[in-house]
Amino acid sequence: MLEFKKVEKTFPGVRALKGIDFEIKRGEIVGLVGENGAGKSTLMKVIYGAYQHDGGEVLINGTPVVFRNPRDAMENGIGMVFQEQSLITNLTVMENIFLGFEAQFMKFGIINWRKMAQAACEQLKKVKLDVDPYTTTSELSFTQRQLVELAKVLTLEERVEGDLVILLDEPTSVLPRKEIELLFDLVRELRSRASFVFVSHRMDEVIELSDRIYVMKDGEVVDVVDSDGCDVDAIQHKMVGREIDKRYYREDKKHPYQQNKVLVETRNLGKEGEFSDVSLKLRAGEVLALVGTEGCGTEGVIRSIFGLDKPTAGELYLNGEPVRAFSAFNGVRSGVGYIPRERKIEGIVGGMSVVENMTLANMQDYSTWGVFKSGVERELAEQWVSKLSIKTATIDTHCGNLSGGNQQKVVLSKWRSAGAKIILLDHPTRGLDIGAKEDVYDMVREMCDDGCGVILIADTLEEALGLAHTIAVFKDGEIQKWFESGGDHQPDQYDLLHYMI
Amino acid sequence: MTKDKILQAPDMNVSAEERAAGGRKSISKEQVTKYLPYITLFSLVALISLYDPAFLKLENLLQTAQDISTLFIMALGMTFVIYIAGIDLSSQSVASMTTVIVALLLPSFGIGAALAAVIIGAVFGMASGLVHTRFKIASFIATLAVGGIAYATGQVVSGQRSTYMPADLREQSMGWMVGNTAGIPHEIFVALALLLIALFIERRTVFGRSLKAVGSGELAAVASGLKVTKIKVMTFALSGAFAAMAGVMLATRLSGGSPTMADQFLLPAIVAVLVGGTPLTGGVGGVLNTLIGALIVAVIRTSMTYLEVPAEAQQIFFGVVLIAAIALTIDRSKVKVVK
Repeated sequence: MLEFKKVEKTFPGVRALKGIDFEIKRGEIVGLVGENGAGKSTLMKVIYGAYQHDGGEVLINGTPVVFRNPRDAMENGIGMVFQEQSLITNLTVMENIFLGFEAQFMKFGIINWRKMAQAACEQLKKVKLDVDPYTTTSELSFTQRQLVELAKVLTLEERVEGDLVILLDEPTSVLPRKEIELLFDLVRELRSRASFVFVSHRMDEVIELSDRIYVMKDGEVVDVVDSDGCDVDAIQHKMVGREIDKRYYREDKKHPYQQNKVLVETRNLGKEGEFSDVSLKLRAGEVLALVGTEGCGTEGVIRSIFGLDKPTAGELYLNGEPVRAFSAFNGVRSGVGYIPRERKIEGIVGGMSVVENMTLANMQDYSTWGVFKSGVERELAEQWVSKLSIKTATIDTHCGNLSGGNQQKVVLSKWRSAGAKIILLDHPTRGLDIGAKEDVYDMVREMCDDGCGVILIADTLEEALGLAHTIAVFKDGEIQKWFESGGDHQPDQYDLLHYMI
Repeated sequence: MTKDKILQAPDMNVSAEERAAGGRKSISKEQVTKYLPYITLFSLVALISLYDPAFLKLENLLQTAQDISTLFIMALGMTFVIYIAGIDLSSQSVASMTTVIVALLLPSFGIGAALAAVIIGAVFGMASGLVHTRFKIASFIATLAVGGIAYATGQVVSGQRSTYMPADLREQSMGWMVGNTAGIPHEIFVALALLLIALFIERRTVFGRSLKAVGSGELAAVASGLKVTKIKVMTFALSGAFAAMAGVMLATRLSGGSPTMADQFLLPAIVAVLVGGTPLTGGVGGVLNTLIGALIVAVIRTSMTYLEVPAEAQQIFFGVVLIAAIALTIDRSKVKVVK
């Protein structure tokens, strides 16, 4: 029904889509995978009308179409469930569902709320969400809101003729496993109503849910595979064009940590509403992974250690010294470096150059009486750029123009050059492609060899298991269970999951 | 130029989407915004010299530069505040107040009066900064309030009258500020010296770098351990000090102080910063831009004199220019919703 023939999309200097052939049949779930920059998002945007293709044909049931804007695409039965939720949280559920399409319930400019509520209930039934349509959206959980979003897209069913195609962009990235299952079951049931395009970084999920998988690389579809009997390695191999071996997490470079050199210690640390009773130790050379579902309090723990959050209970010791004043300034002075999840917001200053970002945390080291010594910081920046092979035109390039992986390297070198010995990594590989991830893993090992301690909130359980010496499993803000990785009883993902949920 | 280098290295990992999003449109826009102030200045000068070639006479150019000096000094301080995405509406009130203070203190303290005035200006600026950061009040409200206090202080201290500087004392302590050397008015030297100091602060100091970080990525600055609150307070203090310096110069030039002396300054000072290319959203631009902006304002003023627009009507025009400048320079990606 929806078909792409040799579709091209060119931006100045980049051919983002190079002759894409893509097809989706009625009731089908199609997976779309590829590294960052492979062209997935561009393809999605062409499908839902945010971009217009400039070559080839987009056909609906054999008729060529061009969507001038997303509304145009919607009228042709194509809807998008956004990764960043697009609901307005202070409106009610039903207002959100029919946002922009209230006219059907209006008479003389007045909305018949009861009629809208009834219609909303119909939509919510489709996604099996049992909430009152009069509920304010902010009161719903994240998963519930995602379902409302799906219900909103499903209103297209009544509004347009013909078949529906629904795009799901990373719908699972912030959901706990159990809710992912529910979502998948729902999508499978809904295929009687619509076809789906499913984009995710998590390969196993794509294989689980999709019928067919399009593998993209460098703006091209390099393969289309049936999900039956395909395996993750083969697809990843096609995505990157190289083998990912068992040394992915650099386990051969994992060395024992120094038992007696405690860098961080918390005693019954707690913060109201986030975490409680957290007692942990981080030693030099150790990677300590904190795992748990979204919102289990791990992020609060590391933000407190850094000083960005102020705990309300317990004690924190950095290098044996008790911490009394919590501020990022004091954290940095105690040798703590924080690599935040929101790289572009808290990690780098996009409008500043590579060298300026690198020295931001310890400008006093490159200055006398508040005046920069000429050359010193540039020399240092050059060193780190070559040491970490940061791909940048010059050290004066704006950091915002670098790729995610290179930005992350800049953030890491900021802390390493500032002499941080306690490194807090919050999802350090989120949104990075595989090559860049491997670079980050290399850096983690190097830091440990240099006597740093690393606290890691990993992007996946696999990553935590691969990198960490010690793993603390969190649930509802408390440590449930400790695991030692690399010993006689190597835990696996299911061991961790068992204590997470 | 950076763009070409990026494109030459295709394995830079700049994702296609990123490049697409920031593609040609934003780069060309970036460049247009970068050169727009120069283009504007050049076109205005060209236009006015066509209208009256006498404008280009050295004497006239120096006169124009002299006239704008005071405003430029105020705009320099304002630049720092706008650079961190704030605004200082107290500048003209602080400047007016200092004209009174310096005129009153001159007989007893000589040049020390100027120093005292600058310190008082900095204290008022610091007060704005503290109100802004401690109570988390938007800077325009904080500075509006502090500006009100400064204005009233000027009124009270002066007894709502103009105060005059005794001519001999003025000549003795402050005369160097307003004389002429080789036909060049000293105001221009003072303004340029202050520009160099401001430029040094902006480019060469840790404080200047911190301003850039706060202006273009405040949360990242916090997460890098910068004392952002302190930096902001210092910025407002600096703006207050520059406003006071403008006041001192104004008082010296006009041989006295009055609580309303700088009343027409605020709008053109903000215009100078913005048309110079430091947008309200902060993070880019700087004091050199403000030099260009101030020159644009100067040329506009002169042209209005040529066109016989009365002084009191000039603010209408500056209001319009301000709106246009904001609309052209603001970084809308930083402003998701306007309330």
